[in-house]
Parts: sequence; C-alpha cells; structure tokens
Amino acid sequence: MRELQSQPEHRDITDLMPWYLNGTLGERDRQKVESHVVECEMCRGELAQERRIHRAVTVEAAVEYIPAASLKRLQAQLDALGDDGIDTPATRTRAPFRGWYAAAASVAVVAAVAASMYYKGWIVFGSEVGARRYHTVTTSRPQAPGEVIRAVFSPTITLIELQAILDEAQLRIVSGPTEAGVYSLAPNSSRPVSSSLALLRRHAAVRFAESIEPAQESDNSPPKR
Amino acid sequence: MPKTLFAKLQSEDLERGLLARVGAKDRQALEELYLGYHRRLARFLSRFTQSYENVEEIINDTFMVVWQAAPQFRHDSQVSTWIIGIAYRTALKSLRRLKRHTSAVDPEDLPEPSVNPGHDAELQDWVARALQGLSEEQRLTLELAYHLGHSMEEIAAITGAPIGTVKARMYHARERLRQYLPALGGGEAGTPSRSE
Repeated sequence: MRELQSQPEHRDITDLMPWYLNGTLGERDRQKVESHVVECEMCRGELAQERRIHRAVTVEAAVEYIPAASLKRLQAQLDALGDDGIDTPATRTRAPFRGWYAAAASVAVVAAVAASMYYKGWIVFGSEVGARRYHTVTTSRPQAPGEVIRAVFSPTITLIELQAILDEAQLRIVSGPTEAGVYSLAPNSSRPVSSSLALLRRHAAVRFAESIEPAQESDNSPPKR
Repeated sequence: MPKTLFAKLQSEDLERGLLARVGAKDRQALEELYLGYHRRLARFLSRFTQSYENVEEIINDTFMVVWQAAPQFRHDSQVSTWIIGIAYRTALKSLRRLKRHTSAVDPEDLPEPSVNPGHDAELQDWVARALQGLSEEQRLTLELAYHLGHSMEEIAAITGAPIGTVKARMYHARERLRQYLPALGGGEAGTPSRSE
C-alpha cells in the first residue's frame, strides 16, 4: 500500500477505495476506480485486500444495546431543564461524565457508582415510581434487591411495549441494563415467579428470561415444605 | 413498529420534521429521534469504550446538545450528518478525558487474538488490537466510513476537517489494520507486524 501511495496515479485510486467499498462514491469517482482496477493489477490486488479489511471492521458486535433505560435517564435530565432549555443547577449536578471522569479518584468512584445506581432507579415502573432507592458501594451485592428474574429484551423494544410486558408479568426493573443488556426484575405482586417467567417468555421481544437463585424467590413464593 | 419507525427515520424529510419539532421543544419528537439513532450510535461508540455507561453517557450527552441546539440547525446539511457530528465531537472529548483519567491501554495488554482470524469474534479482537494504536481521529474516521457508511464529504462535514485530512486519517487507519491483520492484508497469519 505504501508503494502505491508513492505513485500519484495509484494513490488517487487507493484513497478512494474505502468509499468505493461503502458505496458512497459519486458516479464519476466510482467509474474512475473501476476503470483503473481493470487495467492495474496492483490496484486490483489492493482492492481485494481492502475488501477483507472492510469486512473485518464491519463485523457486528454481539452485544445488543437497549435504548429504553438510557432514554429514561435522558428524560430525567431534560426534566431538570427549564422550558427555555437553560441549564439549571439541578441539571449541572447531573452533568454527563462528571462522575465517570472523576473515577480515577477512589472517592469519586464511590460517587459515580452511587450516581449510576441512582439513575437506574428512574427505570422503575408502576407503584415504585417516586420511591427512590439509594445505594452505596458498601451496600453493593451481586444481586439487586428483590431481584427474581434476569431478562434481555429486544434492542428495538419501545418504552410502551416494555412497560406493557412488565405490567402483564407484574414485574418491575430494579437494575440494569448491564453491558450485556441484562435487566434485573423484581415482583410487583405475590404472583409466583414461574408464572411471571412464563409470561415473559411468551413475548418475542423478550430475548432471554431466567429466574435466579431460589433464595431470592422465597420472599415472594409460598413457603416450601 | 420500531423497525418501521427506524425505516421511516431514513427519510431526510421525516428527520427534518422531527428536528423542527425538537426545536419547538417537542419531547415526543426527541424520543423518536433518539430511538432511531440509538442503535447505530451505540454500535459505533462501543468500538471505542467497553463501558456501557460511557456509551450511554455519550449518546445522552449528544441528545442533550440536539435538544438545546435544534433551533439553530441550518438546513444546509443533513440531519444525520449534524447529529453524528455532535456525537463525534462528544465522543472525542469524552475519549480524551477518559484517557487522561485512566492509564492508556497498551495493545500488548489486550487478549491475544486467535492465530486464525476467521471467526467474527476473533476478527473483532484483531481489529480492536489494531485500532488501539491509532489516534481518536483516525479511528473515528475509519468507523464513520466503514461502520456507519458515511461518504468522504459527510465525514469532512462531521469531523470539520478538509477532505485531504479525511483521506490521510483513513490511510493511516487502513495501513495500521494491514499491519495487524496480516492474514487479511495478504501476509502470513499469526504474527502481526509491530513495525511502524
């Protein structure tokens, strides 16, 4: 590639190759590339290699992102803005990145994690709305309070659809999503976890749903003999 | 319904309509725009930070700017170019700040990829390793072209750089990938070149 770059007639063509491959070149440039590579073996080889690079870069990540929780958080930030869109002190305290960039300092790590978990509180639905929960690093534990089910939803699910599914299964989100898009769900009623789980699994928008340790279920299930 | 919504968002007219409503402080319009862009922005940004929270913060910060700056949107550019441009600047700022607060990742510290980068997950390891050695601008330019499929002119508009600079950044990124992806670049697999 370096060799080709030193020769202007080839460099012009190789410079255009990324956009030839992503299909955004104008007609004139596209024809320029095509007519050149027909004649030039070096550039033809170059284009073949570039095609392999293009494929490597465009491999999709396996992780799916779920916008519902992020949107909820954005809405909360907007709620703190005045109607004129002016940044208020309340908003500034929630300014993005503040906690994360201070994360180098251990004290700030505590604040950032606590703030993050606080934000997750905004994704609680139904009767839990307004009942904020506060967490600190010292209270962190592997499972969210009351968590009985872990679930992954379709990345394109809307807030309305998500809420309808959770209402039907009588569940609420207590934390998440994790980096893998996993939500922790807790019961909103005495409905057996197995019943809520079956309801979740009926929906195509629920990619994954599993109950977690029985110990967590004991609070919500009839005593076992 | 969500896919239909996303498909509709491809229409520049619809996006302009949504952005005009955002400019008039219509929260529903912002939500529609947000949901239409979230997936592609998340996938684009996840190549630069492994943290879901960082990706989420960059996206939300981008849409806070969109919310506040929508009335100033000039109709001489595409809505997508304008929004991705805001995301680009936000990402650039956040990546630089993150770098200052965390020790730089040495490519050597990344997991050793498989000898044969034939599978998607292994290819991703190779690419991640190769991209570590690039500047943020070079990496973002490569991703804008190959991952988001933007044209040269759009990337110039998004990044605020001349076309020649876009080409140069792309050249360095491609050259780097060639050195780290020998099996793809025509060399022998298994021993990525370290020479720069």
